[in-house]
This record gives sequence, structure tokens and C-alpha cells, in this order.
Amino acid sequence: MRKSYVNNNIKVKEFDALIKITVEMSRYLYPYIREILRSKEDLEENSVIWKDFNNRFIELISERFNVDSIRVKKLLNQAENDEIIIKSLLTLSLCISNQGYQKLKNLLLDS
Amino acid sequence: MQNKLSFHQSSVSLEIIGLPDYSNNENKDQISIISQWKLTIIDKPLIEGKIEHLGPIMNAFYIYSNLLIKNKIPLYESKLIDIKAENLNLHNIVLKSSKPNIKPLILKIGNSLLSDTINCFDQLNESPKVRIKNTYDINNIPKNLRFELNNKVRFFSFFMPPFIAICSLILFSSSFIYFYNPVENIEKKELINPK
Repeated sequence: MRKSYVNNNIKVKEFDALIKITVEMSRYLYPYIREILRSKEDLEENSVIWKDFNNRFIELISERFNVDSIRVKKLLNQAENDEIIIKSLLTLSLCISNQGYQKLKNLLLDS
Repeated sequence: MQNKLSFHQSSVSLEIIGLPDYSNNENKDQISIISQWKLTIIDKPLIEGKIEHLGPIMNAFYIYSNLLIKNKIPLYESKLIDIKAENLNLHNIVLKSSKPNIKPLILKIGNSLLSDTINCFDQLNESPKVRIKNTYDINNIPKNLRFELNNKVRFFSFFMPPFIAICSLILFSSSFIYFYNPVENIEKKELINPK
């Protein structure tokens, strides 16, 4: 999915390290993640945060991902990407506890 | 005198009231015998109950959130609590009273409150000061262990090349047996030069 010609397989240690970084980041960014989710819940009253986040998300995806891929196109489509973004944010927000690393790892391996 | 412990996460707080188990030589601060718990969600009615209700309610939230994340049908139903997704952002919670003639309590919470509630439960589960039984095991081992498969592949790729090399060396060197037979050679030499 990324704009890269090198197809490297991720190693187990790298996978673990990425999960640890993700959990630490989501713990640190929990108030922001929560606000984005809350903004989506009542778009009529507070839509600015959700729109800003969605625009930045699309910007980053089109900048760094292979836009010709069908899966990436789905991520860029604002009508279709809501579910993916909400579920990703929810997953991150549920993995901020001390056992968050194990929780996120299990979720990723089980999905 | 009962001990009281509170766990907070943004708009949700969970209060646990109980006593330590002195027969187990526990500290005064510990709570092992829970007598009451209260779950406060801002702008929603207070949820409280007995210890028998806390475990099933926590399990319901954990199971429901797992179903939600794993793209399965987000629906949990039990005698005590029902949780159902109204849409992507809203969840309906129906808390049924164990007492007769009491109407069930219906709550509608969003994803932000759902994650706050589960994070409060996580804090309770991880707290060394509270001992709680029968909670959902979040560390259940997933069935699909792709990385173990990867490890197997790596194991084979590490051992197979030298194994094939040794086998081919044995096969290649065994073919030389047909070219050189030392016993026959000695016999021939004896025939040429008989002593």
C-alpha cells in the first residue's frame, strides 16, 4: 500500500516495537483521539475537529501511499473511510492501559 | 470502616467500596470483598449494583468492544445487560434490574464514552489494591498466529539449504565408488607382478 518499490517483510521484533510505540503514542494522545471520536458523534454541534482530522488523514495518505491501489482509494474516499477511521481510533483508544500492548497485539493477530 | 477506591477516565468514573480480606493478611488499603460499586457517566444516570453484577457488566463491555473492533455483529445480550450498536457512533445499553417490576435502564453512549468506560474497567483490573474475580481475559491467545508461521518459515529457510548441500555432497561423492575400486586395483597389480 505504501509508495515503495522495496517489499520488505516485517520481522517479529520490529512488529513488537511498532506496537509498543503505537500504544505509547495512543496513551499520550488519548484526549485528542477521544475528542475526534466525540466530534464525529455530534457533527451538527462540533464538526470542526472531525473535518480537520479527516482532511489531514487524506492528505497524509495521498502523500505517502500508493494512490493507484484499490484499498488506498477506499481510504481516500470520504464516503467510505468513516468506518475504517472510527474503528482504528476506537482500537487505539481501548489500548491505553498497562496491558495495552498485549491487547493491541492480540487484536492485530486475531483480525 | 469501608475502603473506597475511584478510577477516573475523562467523563467516566468508577467507585469501588469494600473491605480487605483480613483472613488473608491483606493490607488495610486493599479491597477484596466488594460491597458496592458505582459507575458515573457524565450526563447519564448513575449505575450501581452488587458485586455479582459488576463482573458480568465488565465482561459485556469487553466482549461488545471486541465484536465492534473485529468487524463482527456488535450485539451482546444477557439476563443483566444488552448492548447493541445503533450506528457507527452510538451504542444502546439496556440494564435490566434483578428486582421485579422495575423497568430496565436504557442508556445511549457514543464511542468516546464507551472507550472511557472500558478504560475505567482496565484501571480496575490492573489495580493492585482491588482483587476482582471472573473478569474477561483480554490476553486470550488468538487462533490465527501468522507470526508463528513466519517463524516456522524462517526455521526451514535456515536449516534447509545446508541440509540439501550435505545430501547433494553425499550423493555426488557416492557416485565415485563406480570409478575407483581399491580392492580390484590391488588384485590387478598382483597379477602383473607375481612374486
